Amino acid sequence: MTTSASNGPLPNALMAGYRVLDLSDEKGMLCGKMLADMGAEVIKVEPPGGEAARTLPPFYHDEADPEKSLFWFAYNAGKKGITLDLTNADGRAVFQALVAASDFVIETFPVGYLDKLGLGYEALAQCNPRIILTSITPFGDTEAGRGQQADDLIAWATGGGMAIMGEKDRGPARINLLQSYFHASAEAAVGSMTAHYPRELSGQGQHVVVNMQACVVWTLMNEQAFPILHGNSVERNGVFAGSEGMRQRLVFACKDGYITLLVAGGPLTPSLKAFLDWMDEKGMAPQWMLDKDWTEWGPATFMNARGDEVQREIDAIESAITAFLKTMTKAEIYAGALERRILLAPVATVADITASEQLAARNFFVPVEHEDLGATIPYPGPFAKLSRTPLSIAGRAPHIGEHNTEMYTGLLGYSRQQLARLRAVGAI
Amino acid sequence: MDRRYAFDGIKVADFAWVGVGPITAKYLADHGATVVRVESRARPDILRQAPPWTDGEPGLNRSQFFASFNTSKHGITLDLSKPRARELARKLVAWADVVIESFTPKAMRNWGLDYDNLRTINPELIMLSTCQQGQTGPHALYPGFGNLMASLTGFYHISGWPDRDPAPPYGAYTDFIAPRFGATVLMAALDYRRRTGKGQYIDMAQYEAALHFLSPALLNYQVNGRVLNRDGNRSFRSAPHGVYRCQGEDRWLAISVSSDAQWQGLIRALGKPSWGSEARFSTQTLRLEHAPALDELLTAWAAEQEAEAAADRLQQAGVPAGVVQNCLDLHQDPRLAAWGMFQYLDHQEMGPSPYEGHQFHLSKTPGALRWPAPVMGQHNAYVFGEILGLSEQEVARLIEEQVIY
Repeated sequence: MTTSASNGPLPNALMAGYRVLDLSDEKGMLCGKMLADMGAEVIKVEPPGGEAARTLPPFYHDEADPEKSLFWFAYNAGKKGITLDLTNADGRAVFQALVAASDFVIETFPVGYLDKLGLGYEALAQCNPRIILTSITPFGDTEAGRGQQADDLIAWATGGGMAIMGEKDRGPARINLLQSYFHASAEAAVGSMTAHYPRELSGQGQHVVVNMQACVVWTLMNEQAFPILHGNSVERNGVFAGSEGMRQRLVFACKDGYITLLVAGGPLTPSLKAFLDWMDEKGMAPQWMLDKDWTEWGPATFMNARGDEVQREIDAIESAITAFLKTMTKAEIYAGALERRILLAPVATVADITASEQLAARNFFVPVEHEDLGATIPYPGPFAKLSRTPLSIAGRAPHIGEHNTEMYTGLLGYSRQQLARLRAVGAI
Repeated sequence: MDRRYAFDGIKVADFAWVGVGPITAKYLADHGATVVRVESRARPDILRQAPPWTDGEPGLNRSQFFASFNTSKHGITLDLSKPRARELARKLVAWADVVIESFTPKAMRNWGLDYDNLRTINPELIMLSTCQQGQTGPHALYPGFGNLMASLTGFYHISGWPDRDPAPPYGAYTDFIAPRFGATVLMAALDYRRRTGKGQYIDMAQYEAALHFLSPALLNYQVNGRVLNRDGNRSFRSAPHGVYRCQGEDRWLAISVSSDAQWQGLIRALGKPSWGSEARFSTQTLRLEHAPALDELLTAWAAEQEAEAAADRLQQAGVPAGVVQNCLDLHQDPRLAAWGMFQYLDHQEMGPSPYEGHQFHLSKTPGALRWPAPVMGQHNAYVFGEILGLSEQEVARLIEEQVIY
């Protein structure tokens, strides 16, 4: 048996003693990762040969290898890994034995697939009434939604996220990294825990169904209510906010990239004043901007403002600000803003994030050993800091079938002969 | 034991405001917990001052932005700048299982309502503090809001087209990431306390939680030194993969093809155009290589199509496809309707208003939008009277003294 570099979960972990069977692909892997960070024993159950998500880029040193996907690493760290063929009757029997010894099952198959295999919620509950089955679906399990297919693009489109992102001329856009999967996965963790609490009181598990499209709708920040309550809609306008021809910049170019800054007074006046003082120190604040009564120029003022004259003023403000910001780098601007308590943020790249002094001070990135690669890789660390039961990453993601022996002989108590037979028939 | 809701009997004092904290508490409220939302007229939640408002008219009790995040909660008012109000807050904490707050880190400390103080009143307390960048570190006291956090966490940079300025995601994007982490860990902490009798303090930085939606890109930089950039709607594994303009005003169809079976479905649904059998499109890697040509062909095809009908046809052929739905479309979507995504609740001042339903459904202890968000101080009488045991006269006096305010 190969052993991982894992030190195992902390003995005092938040979810120590609970076992999770993770059947999910990239649409659900973050859910099990969150439970693993909390100390649950999460077992990634892969088909023989490995999960297709192992082929997702990027790869360690760009080597396309199912044991080197960084996407796989990121969302399976801290889990154990076994192989099992659920399309095989022997494999299904083994799975039922695992379910009897587990607390959660997470899956992302097409709606109804597990039912067809005889492994739907009712069947699993017969093996173990305590089991919680969490199903991550594109459009829910209703008649109207269950037959439809969606990947990230389709979820983002049908969930309303794309219509208000992108450019007028080039059309709607999405965020360049499978965000709807992560929303659905993290929501699946909430759903699983919402079922967990009453299960521990009643002994009864249940079926949790997550709707990926609904998860995207929730990210729209109530935009859905505008046409109903206001009779108008948010418009897609690239880097600008505004509607009905009005344009206000949200993002400004600087020396080496971009800065996000909402130019508004009203409740934000102290921040804006501090910014104008900074411009003034450098001799770059036009007198009329210093003289302007910003208290009346709140974020809502702009939203309701109309007309060429207002737009000309906005444009003039923005060109003065751009000229000032172009003299500095993102890092210089952010450092100055922190010191002066000006509300702005760099448009950060992963390089900027990796260099953050705040994240460094909080030891956010934690080393995970990949003894197989002879490397230690800094991973994004705990998603929250707990005073009594800290979160942790128990070790790198598992290799294909790495914990087969541990689980099948250790947990389920199969003999060597039984194991050999299961291998021979292709079940594991 | 039959339970109606998952968190029946759990008591929460919700001192949070704006997005992340209140949304985290909403999960518990919609699943049965008694959640007391503490506000003050001296410092109203900025979401009460932000649209959308009923009939477009501003008013502290008219914002759906606020209402949406505060369903099923009891609303009280307390001006925590006054010592007597802080005494009442401590009484509320003694009653509670959970405290949630989302101020910049020093606020609760200044009021003597930080965890070290509160645990002396309630040793088993679970307290969740959430702020932008965490309770410690050089940037801890720097204030902000979700739009800035979405920029700081890298989501602005990876949205839009490489040859243009970023086209950022709408609104305070990370406000819709962090609560998923906060609620998960809070519920686990409740179960831990049930088992061990021990509470604890939770410091959730919205920055750190949100970065888990960027993990592969962070590892790619750590390992390979590569920076993820915006790339329009291109995909590393799907082609065609994009949005195509259809007939009508700003109607777009999204199509994504990741396998040979989906490709054959697409070609069949399009009525077998001649280009469908061209060698350059015959495998997935070839289609990725010729993605721009595919985009051109589908753009020409889509221009003649009605978006909804085309999406249905493609879905029936097994192709992931869908209309780029605007907010009005969402209210007409039969899938969202069947799921119960929009529910009209009759708010005391706003009347029937569109609330979002839940993103997960439970088969045995389903949650619910139990009642609409409270108007300012709506439950003062109930909470101060029934829960904290103050007399009517006392409550009246505290209202007059603007302690309950």
